[in-house]
Amino acid sequence: MWTVKYKPRSLKEVADQTEAKTRLLKWFEAWKPGSKAALLYGPPGNGKTCTVEALAREKGLDLLETNASDVRSEERIEHFLGRGVRETSLLGTRGKLILIDEIDGLQAQSDRGGVRAIVKIIRESVFPVVLTANDPWDRKLYEIRSLCELIEFKKVPVRDAVKRLAEICQREGVKADPQALKAIAKRNQGDLRGAILDLETLARGRKQITLRDLEILGKREREADIFEALRGVFKSRSALSAKLSVINVDMDPDEVFWWIEQNIVNEYERLEDLAEAYEALAKADLFRSRVIRRQNWRMQAYMMDLMTAGVSQAKREPYRKFTRYQRPERLSFFSKTMAERERLNSLLGRLASRLHCSTRKVKTEFLPYLLYLAQQDERFARRLASALEASKEDLKMLASFYG
Amino acid sequence: MSLEVWAEKYRPKTLDEIINQRHVVARVKVYVEEKNIPHMLFAGPPGTGKTTMALCIARELYGDQWRANVLETNASDERGIDVIRGKIKDFARTIALGGAEYRIVILDEADALTADAQHALRRTMETYSATVRFILICNYSSKIIPPIQSRTAVFRFKALSEDDVREFIQRIVKGEKLKIDEAAVKAVIYLCEGDLRRAANLLQAAAALGDKITEEMIYEVASQARPDDVKRMLENALKGKFKEAREILYKMLVMQGLAGEDVVREIHRQIYALNIPEKAKVELVEAVGECDFRISEGADALIQLEALLARIAASKAKAG
Repeated sequence: MWTVKYKPRSLKEVADQTEAKTRLLKWFEAWKPGSKAALLYGPPGNGKTCTVEALAREKGLDLLETNASDVRSEERIEHFLGRGVRETSLLGTRGKLILIDEIDGLQAQSDRGGVRAIVKIIRESVFPVVLTANDPWDRKLYEIRSLCELIEFKKVPVRDAVKRLAEICQREGVKADPQALKAIAKRNQGDLRGAILDLETLARGRKQITLRDLEILGKREREADIFEALRGVFKSRSALSAKLSVINVDMDPDEVFWWIEQNIVNEYERLEDLAEAYEALAKADLFRSRVIRRQNWRMQAYMMDLMTAGVSQAKREPYRKFTRYQRPERLSFFSKTMAERERLNSLLGRLASRLHCSTRKVKTEFLPYLLYLAQQDERFARRLASALEASKEDLKMLASFYG
Repeated sequence: MSLEVWAEKYRPKTLDEIINQRHVVARVKVYVEEKNIPHMLFAGPPGTGKTTMALCIARELYGDQWRANVLETNASDERGIDVIRGKIKDFARTIALGGAEYRIVILDEADALTADAQHALRRTMETYSATVRFILICNYSSKIIPPIQSRTAVFRFKALSEDDVREFIQRIVKGEKLKIDEAAVKAVIYLCEGDLRRAANLLQAAAALGDKITEEMIYEVASQARPDDVKRMLENALKGKFKEAREILYKMLVMQGLAGEDVVREIHRQIYALNIPEKAKVELVEAVGECDFRISEGADALIQLEALLARIAASKAKAG
C-alpha cells in the first residue's frame, strides 16, 4: 500500500504542518515527567500519526502505541501501557514515546473508565505522551484536554498534496496529468492519506492517469454524497433512477431512511404529494420492522425501493426549486440532549417508583396534573422537589419537556 | 418527605379498604389467611385497584417488612425480558425476611411483553416458583399467553361504578377537609371514566385553585392538565397545515418520548369531536386502525403517524 510505502520517514518529509511540527518539537524538548501531554488534533489523513512516528524515529525512541481499534477500557489501557510508562527499561537505554491514537474514538460504554485510565497515564508517565483526535472538543475529553498542550494539524493545502502525489507518481513511474492530481487533491479536502489511496487505485495496472479516469473513484465525502442522493430521489421522474441514486451513499440504509424522512416536507409542497410520499415511507417502514424483528435481511431491498422509488413517484411533477436539505433531527436530537435526558429519565424513574407505576403512566396520567399543581401552588412545587431530591432546575426542565 | 400526591396518599393500605372488587378480595383473603398464595394474574381497566391489591397482599403477608420481600417491576420500563430475568434471579436468590417461605414479584403492565418474552417469563416462573410468587398485572388478559394463564389464578377486576368512584371521592374530601359541591363531584365521576387514579389527580389539582371546589374548576383542570397537543395536531392537519401538525407530533414522540400507542388511542378518542362530515369520521377510524395495527406489528410510530397526518391533510385539500 502506497500510504505505507510513502509514509514520511522524517519530520521534514511530513507534508506541510510547519507550525505544528515546530510546536511539537518545542514541546518535546521541554518535556519532563509531570509536564503536559501533547494532543494533536485535526481532520483525518493530514499526518498526525505519521508525525509522531517520524518524531520517534528521529529521536531514536521506541514508540508504544494504542489506537481506537483496541478496546480501551480502564483495565486494558492499564495492562498495555501501565508498566511501560512507569518503568524505565532495564535493557538498553533507548527512551520511549507513548502514543494514544484517536482518543475521540473512546466509546462511552465499552471503553468505560478509559478516560480515567488515560488521565492516570498522562499524570504518571515517565515518558512523553502524545494523543491524537479528530475532534478534541468532545465533552468526554474535557478532563484529558486540560492536561494537554493542544497542537492543531490543518488540512493539507491542495498544492502541498499535489506536490506529494507528483513525487509518488515519479517514483512509481506513472505519468499523471497535473489536472488529474489537482482534482484528486481537491476531492479529498485536505486528507492526504485519502488522496494517496485514490492515486493508487487509479494507477493500478496503468502507467498513465488522466482527468477522465477519476470517474471510477467512489466518493469519500459522505455528506456531499447524501445531498446528491436526496436530489436524485426527490427530483427524478424515473423510479429506477430514484432507486439507484442512493446506492453509492456510504451510509447505513437506516440512516438514509431518516434523511429522506426529514426532507420530504422540505421538498414536497402539494398535500397530495406529501400524503403519498409519507405513505410510501410508512410502507418502507413496515419492511424495515420486518428486517429488525425477524432479522429477515431479504426484506431490506423492498424497504429501500419504497423509500426511494416510492417517495420519488409520490409527486405529480418535480418541483423546480433549490431545496436546502437538512440533517435528520431525530438522530441528532438524541445525541444533543443526552445529558438532559439522562437527568429527565432518572426523575421519571423516581416518580414511577414512588407512584408504583411505569414511567409511561407517569408521563400520561400524573405529569399533566403534577406540573399544573406545581404551577398553581408554590408550596406543592417545593415539596415535590424535595420528595424527589430534585432541584428547582430539574422541575423546570421537566416542565419544559412536558408542560 | 412524602410525595403528597393524593392518588398515592389515598391508595388503600389494607384489603378491606379496597373499593369494590369484592369477588377478588374475598378469595385473596383466604390465601392470605393460609399464608399461601398462588401465582396470580390481575386483569382489568386502569385505576381499578390491581396494583393496590398486590401491594395490600404484600403488606398483609409481611407486615412492616413488606418492601424487603417485594420486587416491583414494570414491563413497559424494562427493555427486555433479560433485564427482568436478571432482576428476578437476583431477588429470588436471597431468602424472605421475617420467616416467610417465599417472596413476591409484582410484574406490572405485563401485556407490554412480547409473546417471546412471555414464554421466557413462563420458564422463569417455573424455575423460581419454590421461592417466589408472581403477581402479573395487565389490562387485557387476552394479551397474556395461555401457558401463563393456566399457571396463574386469573382475577378480572370490574370497571368501577359511579357509586364506587363517589365513595373514593368522599374519602379524599373527608381526609383533606375539602368543600365541594355536588355538581363538581359529578364532573369528577364523569371525567375520570372509572379510573380512581385520575379522580384523585383531578381533585388535587382543582383544590389548588380555591377553597371551594366547583364544577368549573374541575373542567378547568381537565382542560389545562389534559394536554391538548393531540387535538391541536389534528386541527392543524385538517386545515392542511401539515408542517405544523408534524411539529407537534415530533414534540410528543421524540421530545417527550410518549408511547405511540398512547397517541394513537388519544386520536381515536378525539375523532368524533372533529368538525368533519360524519362519513369522514368513519374513514378516519379505519385509517387510525391501520396505523395502530402497523405500530403494534413493530413499525415506527413516528413514521406511521406522519403518514396518517399527511393523509388527513390531503383529504381535506381534496374536499376543498
